[in-house]
Amino acid sequence: MDFTYTEEQKMIKDAARGFLEKACPNVEWYLDMDKDEKGFTPELWKGMAELGWMGIMFPEKYGGIGGSFLDLVVLLEEMGYAAVPGPFFSTVLLGGLAVLEAGTDAQKNDLLPKIAEGKCLLTLALTEAASTVYDPFFIETTAKAAGDNYIINGVKLFVPDANVSDVIIAAVRTSGTTGDKDGISLFLVDSKTPGVKTTLLKTTAGDKLCEVIFDAVTVSKDKILGSLNGAGAVITRVLQYAAVGKCAEMLGGSQKVMEITVAYAKERVQFGKAIGVYQAVQHHCANQKMAIEGSTYITYKAAWMLCNGLPATRIVASAKAWGSEAYKKVAAIGHQIFGGTGYIVEHPMPIYSRRAKAAEYAYGNANYHRQLVATELGL
Amino acid sequence: MAWDFGILKEEEAYRQKVADFLDKELTEEIARQSWEDLGLDVEGRAFAKKLYAAGLMGWSWPVEYGGKGLPPIYDFILIDELGKRWGAHVPNDVAYTMVGHTILRRGSAEMKKEFIPQIIQGEIEFGLGYTEPEAGSDLANMKMTAVEDGDYFVINGQKTFNTESHYSEYHWLAAKTDTKVSAYKGISLFIVDQRAPGITIRPMITMSGERTNEIFYDEVKVPKNRLVGEKNKGFYYMMEALGSERNYVFVPSRYLPYLNMIVDYAKNTTFKGIPLAENPMVRDKIAQIAVEIDMSTLLADHARWMEWNHLPMTCEPEITKVFVSEMEQRMVDSAMQILDQFCQLKEGSKWAPLNGRMEWEFLHSFMTTIGAGTSEVGRTVIAQRGLGLPRG
Repeated sequence: MDFTYTEEQKMIKDAARGFLEKACPNVEWYLDMDKDEKGFTPELWKGMAELGWMGIMFPEKYGGIGGSFLDLVVLLEEMGYAAVPGPFFSTVLLGGLAVLEAGTDAQKNDLLPKIAEGKCLLTLALTEAASTVYDPFFIETTAKAAGDNYIINGVKLFVPDANVSDVIIAAVRTSGTTGDKDGISLFLVDSKTPGVKTTLLKTTAGDKLCEVIFDAVTVSKDKILGSLNGAGAVITRVLQYAAVGKCAEMLGGSQKVMEITVAYAKERVQFGKAIGVYQAVQHHCANQKMAIEGSTYITYKAAWMLCNGLPATRIVASAKAWGSEAYKKVAAIGHQIFGGTGYIVEHPMPIYSRRAKAAEYAYGNANYHRQLVATELGL
Repeated sequence: MAWDFGILKEEEAYRQKVADFLDKELTEEIARQSWEDLGLDVEGRAFAKKLYAAGLMGWSWPVEYGGKGLPPIYDFILIDELGKRWGAHVPNDVAYTMVGHTILRRGSAEMKKEFIPQIIQGEIEFGLGYTEPEAGSDLANMKMTAVEDGDYFVINGQKTFNTESHYSEYHWLAAKTDTKVSAYKGISLFIVDQRAPGITIRPMITMSGERTNEIFYDEVKVPKNRLVGEKNKGFYYMMEALGSERNYVFVPSRYLPYLNMIVDYAKNTTFKGIPLAENPMVRDKIAQIAVEIDMSTLLADHARWMEWNHLPMTCEPEITKVFVSEMEQRMVDSAMQILDQFCQLKEGSKWAPLNGRMEWEFLHSFMTTIGAGTSEVGRTVIAQRGLGLPRG
């Protein structure tokens, strides 16, 4: 048993901390990114690509640096700490890992080096309007065979960064009925294909979640990612990576919130004393610390299980169920301690509390993941 | 060095050995004596000897006293496996997980030679003599005095909530040896023969039926060689031991039997012909119990790992303590909601579900956020030692 980062991981962490501090300079910049249609700057993206981040988990033959999922998790923790905006998560976790897991040699050779260089942005179009309760397999969007092509029809929601993407991986039904895990296929759809229409949704976190309409979109059959009708397992795997990756971001974000909260409690004077002297404030901070310690080890255990190919369904669901609520709680406590100051839009707190809300619902909220845990318990 | 959540082959082999033994030998009666702190009755004593005879005790203890000299993980494995089977702790819990470690750290060579082998062999137990009527959360406010008189200390005063003393051979006693200095600098630790003349032990029965004790010392003579370590260093020794003690006492595996029990209940109980296991509210509540057990297991693993790697622990065991004790209360509340009005039926009543275990656990769980330090003191420790917030 060991609870330490490798030397390489410490270097990744330090490098990421240094780069992101400069790249995301101040609250005004974040607010600009919220309003900006793309939500990131070319300089930021280029800098991340130069550091090798997009290819951190890809083998070297695909232009990557051959790291592990744990290395990626370390990086995501720092990205959460910096609350960095942009399409990294969608491109690498949802797109890159899906291609890595399920792609043919030709697809991998085509896409992974481009992703690693920062020259191709991907995303995954999964959830639909009929999923009033989150269910990634409740898929009504169809792809019908027509000669060497397939014709895709349907509407996808909450597709991250589709507006800036080059390729949208569309999860569609090619057989079976809505709700079946079987009968789903993944298609690599060029975002500029006629019939693909992307509309930005307006969200709490200012992140770029989109509606994507597929209106008789023609895709050739060599664009199928993985096996026809057999994408259920790939989606499950990718969503496990995504859930744990999101846990890492949430962990980093909550660490930052606790850091600024505790620093403020030490310097803010009321009734003649630093408010951090008062037990009511101390106990709030202790609750942040407890929530974060738990998030740390359950996130890394889940990542370690995935990394080692061990059965991870229970621990991944546990981690996302815990992490979703922990970050929300840590952020709420931060607001309480900052008082009115933290309620002002130019303060860092709202950046984090708004992202905590987005992260809570990404890839299943706590209720969804508790249902997975219940099933794992035999219920 | 790298993140690693696995255990070594040798550790797994020991775990399997312990598991096989306990599956055969740990009866419900013994397990309940342990869980309910009812004490080491004849069965408990016999079980302690069997554990030792099976070669399962002392793996983490020094070779010179009969141990195997291995890291603490072996003792943690032993405790975890007991916990999974309703056995809350090793039979001589206070001796094995608390007192013994301080004797090893601070006791004289003679004291170690006398006590450690008996502790490993499960032959002796200690009552923990800290709390007094005026010294609860403010432990340094204790009034009991120990005055030097020739070859002895003469001890007078009163202790309360000394849980194991009615069946223990020894009292692990904190008393004031210097009343003129600040309380932290004037306390010493003693090993007292629990049956010595001048000691009166009176039962205090808790709301869940466990026995604890109040203990009166009237001119009790304790030989000077039973002073632990240096005079007036007692409070320091107590604080030094606290993190490790929490690592041994707050054991998340103990909640697995409750989890399994409520899972079975939900699978095997129907309402309007539908198993409770299909009710989303029931599933959610049970899953949350499992999530919290998963999470707290990692809190405990991490704090224990720090201990056996000699890393400085500031608040990590305290985090486990506060979280696990509050988790226990949430667990009971959720489980009782699932049992609905049947939850209030006690063991032995007609219609009592789960043999009344959850009802008993409800009563017991009030203690968890108070005993061994309240959640409030715990959070203050986390804030001040863990986060560096200022003292008032």
